[in-house]
Amino acid sequence: MKLKYKTYVRILFLMISTILFSYFIYSFYFIQNYPISITNRISFDAKIGFIKQNIDLTMIDTIIVGSSIGLNNVQGEALEKYSKEAKGVLNLSVYEATPPQIKQVLELIPLFPNLKRVIYSAQFSDFAYAGKLKDYNSKFIIDYISNNLSIKESVKFYFKSCQDIFFCIKRQWNWNREYQQSNHFTYLGFDKSGSVPLEIYGKDIIQSRWKNPHRDRQSIYAFRALDKITEDLKKKDINFIFVMQPYRQPLVKKYNHLKPTMQKFKQKVEVILSKNTGVFLDLHNMMNLQDEYFADRSHLNSKGSLISSKAIAEFLDKESKK
Amino acid sequence: MLFNSYEFIFLFLPITFFIYFYLNSKKLTILSKIFLILSSLFFYSWWNIAYLPLILLSIIFNFFVGEYIYNKKYLLYIGVFFNLGLLGYFKYMDFFIENINFFTDYNLSLFHLALPLAISFYTFQQIAYLVDSYRGDTKEHNFLDYAVFVTFFPQLIAGPIVHHAEMMPQFNNSKNMIKNYRNIALGIFIFSIGLFKKVAIADSFAIFATQGFDVATSLNMIEAWLTSLSYTFQLYFDFSGYTDMAIGIALLFNIKLPINFNSPYKALSIQDFWRRWHITLSNFLKRYLYIPLGGNRVGETRIYFNLFLTFLLGGIWHGAGWTFVFWGVMHGTALALHKFWQKLRFKINFILAWFITFNFINISWVFFRAKEWEDAIKVLDGMFFGEIILPQILSSKLSFLSTGSEKWSSIFYSTPEVFIWIISGFILSLLFKNSMQLREKFIPTPFYMLWTILSLMSIFILYRKSEFIYFNF
Repeated sequence: MKLKYKTYVRILFLMISTILFSYFIYSFYFIQNYPISITNRISFDAKIGFIKQNIDLTMIDTIIVGSSIGLNNVQGEALEKYSKEAKGVLNLSVYEATPPQIKQVLELIPLFPNLKRVIYSAQFSDFAYAGKLKDYNSKFIIDYISNNLSIKESVKFYFKSCQDIFFCIKRQWNWNREYQQSNHFTYLGFDKSGSVPLEIYGKDIIQSRWKNPHRDRQSIYAFRALDKITEDLKKKDINFIFVMQPYRQPLVKKYNHLKPTMQKFKQKVEVILSKNTGVFLDLHNMMNLQDEYFADRSHLNSKGSLISSKAIAEFLDKESKK
Repeated sequence: MLFNSYEFIFLFLPITFFIYFYLNSKKLTILSKIFLILSSLFFYSWWNIAYLPLILLSIIFNFFVGEYIYNKKYLLYIGVFFNLGLLGYFKYMDFFIENINFFTDYNLSLFHLALPLAISFYTFQQIAYLVDSYRGDTKEHNFLDYAVFVTFFPQLIAGPIVHHAEMMPQFNNSKNMIKNYRNIALGIFIFSIGLFKKVAIADSFAIFATQGFDVATSLNMIEAWLTSLSYTFQLYFDFSGYTDMAIGIALLFNIKLPINFNSPYKALSIQDFWRRWHITLSNFLKRYLYIPLGGNRVGETRIYFNLFLTFLLGGIWHGAGWTFVFWGVMHGTALALHKFWQKLRFKINFILAWFITFNFINISWVFFRAKEWEDAIKVLDGMFFGEIILPQILSSKLSFLSTGSEKWSSIFYSTPEVFIWIISGFILSLLFKNSMQLREKFIPTPFYMLWTILSLMSIFILYRKSEFIYFNF
């Protein structure tokens, strides 16, 4: 079907305009409903969006940081409920965060004017690597969360966020499939405090994660980052609590390398805490949790994280009386 | 400003287009030309305004010399010396000093001059103008037309190298001052193909080429071939993509730019290749260098020498470095040998002819791409003497072919799709019609509209914006 050139050009422009208009509509929809790309971690992007939309920054007195061990194993809501001390809790943990990345995340502290304490929830396996967040700009994130971006910066940011439309479509697709299922280890359904309790029980348990322990690998750079974190917090007069989360006891008994690795890890952390500031809470030995509270070798399910949170709440209250 | 940028596609181009034709529709022809010149200078200055005075000086000087140059040899010498002097100063001075320092005991300090954008292109165009004015072959002597001819933004930065005789009359043709929907439709079609070539294809090959040339410290045989082929295809799709975009944009303004590529990788000889690759440069070198040197009218040995010299200078034109000199030497020698071969009247099978030609070109691009000699040697060493280490997917079944003990590793481990890209590169450049052939076939049907729209979807991956390779020359 041959068209007149004028008609052809008009239809072509109409179609191109429609595509561009659809693109803008979709971008607007995406920005409203899905985590915008700010860092190279979807869980951090989601957390930033969550804080911006839901959290009264002035109310926060306690921050939980960590990897999935922080995100899944501590329920901020429960901590608020059971503790007299922690009345405004925000879980700032990011999936797979290494200690240097936690240090980067803690650059956001200026957002919280009434912050009293930071709880680092971890297991020895979190100290195996020491990668950093790429192209991380804490100042920009602080301005973004606190609505202090200029109009020019905002336009530039939203434009940049959606210019790779294929990335946005992929993220939307993955968001619904992977990040909204509470029986997945990638779950990102935050509770009111930004924690992510896992509903992984029975057949949802992944056997390889359940049966196989972590290697004993530890990175010296990870400990150096912890050292720097505690040093910085001391300067800011913020209390620091390091929580060593439970590990499946049958594995500790079965695999000879686990116990000494955990002991060594505990010793190293305690040395750092005594040098700077902070207290150590060994939930692994204190709670001696049964398997029914675990989602895998080191992640707790929602029942387990509730118990863990209660224990931390009690510990906080005890510590405050000292 | 890059053709493959948001600011160009959504702001500069539409604004310039509409204002230009609005002024023409009001019969403000001179004003429309002034507007086009100012827009082009704005486009040029977007990168670095520091070199705007240089291009203005060059235009003014060449125009006025051109006015009085007819039959005055000394003015021709002055004009050519001025142009080559500027080019030499900005492009080759540091290279020259480095070599003086290397071969003598001097320790002269370098100038560290940034290469003014497009200087290689507008210098050649203006030398051609001066030579033709000297011969009395130029008819138009209107400054505005001359300035539009030199600065017209679609061709300003990286060609095609246009000739005043084919360009200046077009700016004066009253038919070209009215919006032409055929040209708009065709222009957008060609532009969209160029955009797709650049953004979707060339920039994908660039990832693999950069890995091999700049990141890896050593390459096994397969990696080295993948690296060189990636660059071979990157360069073609990048430069021909740029040219398509330039031709498409110029068509929107009813200006026809000359063809610059004609499926060069289908060439069956090195001579054939230079009739298909960067055609406007080949034409310039032939017309203003090879023929004045005597062309084919001299003795046989002199012809070989002229060919060699022409391409040696062509190599140097591309960049100030020994790798470019060597690349020119390779092509000059190959063309001289081919001329000799033709004289012997031997015939070879066309597949073998293609194979030899393509591989020669592929190998010569290694020198063209390498930043240092060591990079070129690294890639060539891998291509011919590297270990054969098979890709992981093949290693279990074809392990007997491996000569190395290592597993498939390092640079392409995370990007096994490089194989698919290379095969696609061959298919696209050898089996498909090129954009200029498609231009001839274009008719305003829904099929071509869909094609245009799909190609234009490349704007959604413009975020990985990169410069065109030929901007460096």
